[in-house]
Amino acid sequence: MRNFRLLVPLLAVLFVVLAPSVAAAQGDEVVTGPGFIDRALQSLLDGIQFGAIIAITAVGLSLVFGTTHLINFAHGELVTIGAVVAFFLNVGGLGLHIIPAALIAVVVGAVLGGLLQLGLWSPLRRRGTGMINMFIITIGLSLLLRHVVLVIFGTRPQSYREYDIQRAFDLGPVGITPRDLAIFSISLLVLLGVAFMLQKTRIGTAIRAVSSNRELAEASGIDVQRVVLVVWVLGGGLAALGGVFFGLTEIITWDMGFRLLLLMFAGIILGGLGSPYGAMVGSFVIGIVAQMSSLWFPIDLQNAWALLALILVLLIRPQGILGQRERVG
Amino acid sequence: MDEPLLVADEIVAGYVTGVDVLRGCGAELGAGEIVGVIGPNGAGKSTLVKAMFGLLRVRTGSVRLRGEDVTNKPAHELVSRGIGYVPQRQNVFPTLTVEENLRMGTYLRPKQFASRTEFVEELFPLLAKRRQQKAGSMSGGERQMLAMGRALMMEPEVLLLDEPSAGLSPAYQDQVFARVKEINSTGVAIFMVEQNARRCLQICDRAYVLDQGTNAYTGTGTNLLHDEKVIELYLGTLARVR
Repeated sequence: MRNFRLLVPLLAVLFVVLAPSVAAAQGDEVVTGPGFIDRALQSLLDGIQFGAIIAITAVGLSLVFGTTHLINFAHGELVTIGAVVAFFLNVGGLGLHIIPAALIAVVVGAVLGGLLQLGLWSPLRRRGTGMINMFIITIGLSLLLRHVVLVIFGTRPQSYREYDIQRAFDLGPVGITPRDLAIFSISLLVLLGVAFMLQKTRIGTAIRAVSSNRELAEASGIDVQRVVLVVWVLGGGLAALGGVFFGLTEIITWDMGFRLLLLMFAGIILGGLGSPYGAMVGSFVIGIVAQMSSLWFPIDLQNAWALLALILVLLIRPQGILGQRERVG
Repeated sequence: MDEPLLVADEIVAGYVTGVDVLRGCGAELGAGEIVGVIGPNGAGKSTLVKAMFGLLRVRTGSVRLRGEDVTNKPAHELVSRGIGYVPQRQNVFPTLTVEENLRMGTYLRPKQFASRTEFVEELFPLLAKRRQQKAGSMSGGERQMLAMGRALMMEPEVLLLDEPSAGLSPAYQDQVFARVKEINSTGVAIFMVEQNARRCLQICDRAYVLDQGTNAYTGTGTNLLHDEKVIELYLGTLARVR
């Protein structure tokens, strides 16, 4: 039942995103030819890297949904804001190196996440606002933030000053740039860090407890409001970091987070709603399917194949890859 | 005369604006007592417990713990003051293991996890065997044991139980009532809302009969068990022959 709560907005985004993709795909040439295994391995590697970026951003979205049941449509904008803040610090007047710029962007994302909880979501919940109303508010907030970024950043795609173009080094049949290797390694470390925090620390277990049963968590002595604030701060920081990584591997645009949002939703549903580990696994699957589909089909349709994989998995395993069915009675 | 341990006084509360489920009812719980609340469906039994535990806003009236006003204090604060609560439904963290469920019980005092686990597992030996099992895969009766165990982890002075035998097999119901008596014998005062009125009155020191959000009858468990009006209205005439 929880899967269906997200399927409606997912289908709405699917329509918005795929309509132009399908149109753009008209006339694209499907690449075939020799060295297929090498290209497949390269696509697999690219897919794992892309999946890691989706996972970093999706974990926050999954934790917010798990602890609050809020489907945050504006999560993509936290991704964009992370990338754009790092861009202005990197390319703008301060001219900071991308590494300190990225760290500041993560802090800005975390603070923004916390402020949204304290100034918007918490007061709305206290006033008894329904979840559907709050979902609509996230859509409005998404539009608002996206257009604020549009006004400040403009429509022109941009790149960071450092690590823009690099030569790939060979790892057997596949190639990877030092930048992508670093991003992938950091992403994995961050994901492992989040998993460790959730599994082994007191606040992590409290986050899982609130996700599992909010009222019982309160009845066990957990300050649920504080836990939810931690989740928003964590989610905002991770989204901003993912935004910087996405901007480094692709380009920075005013709507980059919104374009990634559909894949984040797909990742967390595929992995099993409410399970942060599921969000990680699901995101990797989505990233791999999206990249590998371009071996046979136009690249503009890669999101469609990722979503087809989502539908197929849900038909076989409705609770998602790591989602668990609860015993009744 | 000293005020009882926990007092709910003239409570008015409800879920929807303008509709009061509780309409001035009250209850008292003395140290070491077992107090039951019975009544027909919709009488406001569970609502009363939720209002006392800060899970539902009290509109008028007051809740006092050891003479101190705790009306509308958040539940997590009441836990730190010595009140434990076991909800009727969704009473465990299904995605957490048994051990993690118990650990959440000592969230505010993690250092006492080992000693309290020992106490709880002595009371519910089943939990020791299932430590690494996900709570969501346990049966209803097993979950009830875990739920009571979790609530006892903070060493509460008061335990609020919301229909602990609801939906359980007769064998598990027997176990639940036996454990309630056992927990009470360790010095924990128990305030228990129960739909199985006869069984509840058998183990209670005192009880309240709620009807439409007000106190209809009050008395000792034994007296209410033999009260003609209570039998007629709430226990059913078959109770006479038992």
